[in-house]
Amino acid sequence: MLRKTLARMTLGTAALAFSLGAWASSPSTIKIGTLYAGSGNFAQASTRQYDGLKFWAKQINAEGGLFVKAYGKRIPVQLVAYNDQSSTTLAASLYNRLITQDQVNILVADYGSVLTSVAIPLALEHHIVLFDETGTSGKFFKPEDKNRYIVLTGLPTSSQWPKVLANFLHTVGSKRIAILYAANDWSGSQAETLKTSLKALGANVVFYESVPNSTSSYSTILHRIAASKPEVVAEFGYSNNDIAFLQNYESSGLYFPMVFVPNPALHYEVVRKAVGDQAIRHVFSYVAPPLIRYNKEVNYGPTLDAFEAAYAKSGGKNVDLSTVAGYNTGLIVQKTLATSATFTQEAMRNAVDTFSGKIFTLDGLFQVNHEGAQTGESLPVGQVLPTPHGLQLLPVFPLKSAVAKYVYPTPGK
Amino acid sequence: MPKGWRSTTLIPVITLLAFAVLPHLYNNQFLLFNMMMYMALAQGLNIIYGYTGYLPFGYVGFFGAGAYGGALAITFLHWSPYLAVLAGGGAAVLLGMILIPLFRLSGAYFSIASLAAAEALYYVVANPGLEPLTQGPYGISLPQVYDPNGAYWTMLAILLFSLIISGVIRRSRFGLALSAIRESPLSASMSGVNVVKLRSISWLLSALIAGLAGAAFGWYISVFYPETVFGLGIGVFTIVFVLFGGIGTVLGPMIGTLILYGVYNYIGISTPEYFQLAYGLLIMILVLFLPNGLVSLARKRGLNVA
Repeated sequence: MLRKTLARMTLGTAALAFSLGAWASSPSTIKIGTLYAGSGNFAQASTRQYDGLKFWAKQINAEGGLFVKAYGKRIPVQLVAYNDQSSTTLAASLYNRLITQDQVNILVADYGSVLTSVAIPLALEHHIVLFDETGTSGKFFKPEDKNRYIVLTGLPTSSQWPKVLANFLHTVGSKRIAILYAANDWSGSQAETLKTSLKALGANVVFYESVPNSTSSYSTILHRIAASKPEVVAEFGYSNNDIAFLQNYESSGLYFPMVFVPNPALHYEVVRKAVGDQAIRHVFSYVAPPLIRYNKEVNYGPTLDAFEAAYAKSGGKNVDLSTVAGYNTGLIVQKTLATSATFTQEAMRNAVDTFSGKIFTLDGLFQVNHEGAQTGESLPVGQVLPTPHGLQLLPVFPLKSAVAKYVYPTPGK
Repeated sequence: MPKGWRSTTLIPVITLLAFAVLPHLYNNQFLLFNMMMYMALAQGLNIIYGYTGYLPFGYVGFFGAGAYGGALAITFLHWSPYLAVLAGGGAAVLLGMILIPLFRLSGAYFSIASLAAAEALYYVVANPGLEPLTQGPYGISLPQVYDPNGAYWTMLAILLFSLIISGVIRRSRFGLALSAIRESPLSASMSGVNVVKLRSISWLLSALIAGLAGAAFGWYISVFYPETVFGLGIGVFTIVFVLFGGIGTVLGPMIGTLILYGVYNYIGISTPEYFQLAYGLLIMILVLFLPNGLVSLARKRGLNVA
């Protein structure tokens, strides 16, 4: 009896000592390291994304910190952020600094594939999970690379984006499609997927060409596209490409029954203001939060409405997809640390798998595959249509997401 | 050993010691790697610009050619990264040979034509039609050879090679001939200097260094896009570093890179909002008060700068 009691006491003391040790070793703050582009090509989207992440950190700290399951308590968040000025060489050096000098607990990538690319080998080398916000290049998630240290928190890989669009074109019976794309990873992979998907659906791709990223005049190429007599023209490029394309199309006097460009989904107001209402009216695009609003489905974090209200109250500017992506990354980090039983990178990555497919945030369903690529979210097709509040990009396909009836063929100019 | 040669030997030795020890004291290896890369590029540019007076705005084209040359050797020929770095240097030399006719131009025309050539190469490499070869705009991924330590020591070897080449040229009859070309190609030619041959050799040496550096850079980061290695910023930085330190010397480009790249990283982190202002002011001061670079300060005091 005495021996049993002594054994229990010993075990109890050991457990107490162990748990006290665990408390004692918990960090005073959770360091989240990230980069943003304060200038250069990616500045606009990157700073918005960073604003979203900062807002999340501010909210979390106002609640007493991030709940870390491994330590059983809330710990304040400390954001460590550097400006990479849209330069990949500087970004690589700064990611290195975040990992080796600042010794951050969580590593969050900058905006887009180009600025994310240099973080991937570093994260792999140092065995730290990279929370990839918007780097959607398919080559980051190749099974043969066996890289478990990356998680795409938001958008699906870019090659998945046009799948709904291909179904939409099939549904409306478009048979002659012209595809024009800027020579970059993001645009090229969308164009390739659309071409492949359309061919599988029996459509005829009558025009398929690329242009340099810096293209600012589409007048000649628009006439060449017109010569192929397409029913649909899909142009994939960065914002500057879309804007120049729509401006040139508007002034060309040409007419295509449908025009699709991707960037209104990402920065609708920017594109609308640049090209004007007349040029953007009836244009098709993807639809992503905040233009598509997940409110009823959300089971983790605030709804989009609640987020927008809180963000505006804190003095934030208009919410766009980048802001949502930044905030959403914070939510995924939050869920990861609330789930991971130990405070190691391997445990965190495994924790992501345990809640993948089970949480729905303001950005959509969070679901990643074994390689960390986002598979839960999809991008519906939208169209810029007149509403009582002016022109808006509204979801029109698939029908379960639609809030308006699409207009196709679009009215002539 | 003559005094001039002594100082020329001392620079590579100090550089070797510094970059061999620094990783043990400072753990941001990539920053040190970048510093070495820009120092090597600055020496490479110095060979063609500092010694012969031809300023190629498109110097980054060699760097990109090297990065892609090395990557293709790894991807298609399954060469070890060390051999692939040499292949990158070879690719840049090949490009340099193709571009030798640019020397029919001079001054700003040569500078702009080299820039156009680098841009043309960028668009060729990024062309989706070349996806089976260069991966087009989708970029290169080399996770199978990722080895930052190997790439670091390789870059140090490239830097030492560039310093030795630059130092030897500066102290040799070859360098003297190049200086004559810089002052007046016509007079040099009339004095018996084979202008075309010597200028081409220095051009190809310059290309080789940039190509080796580009290949080592591509190996280090292992995932890159065409815009990453053909970005004009790399060329602009190199030119500014060389000008800041002082052209036509071995020490000048080293000091220029050390100070300006150091400032770039310090201000970029501490006060990024003032970075462009500070950098711009620094360059304005240089142009106004030190047009011959920092080494001119030493020369004014009668010091012989290596």
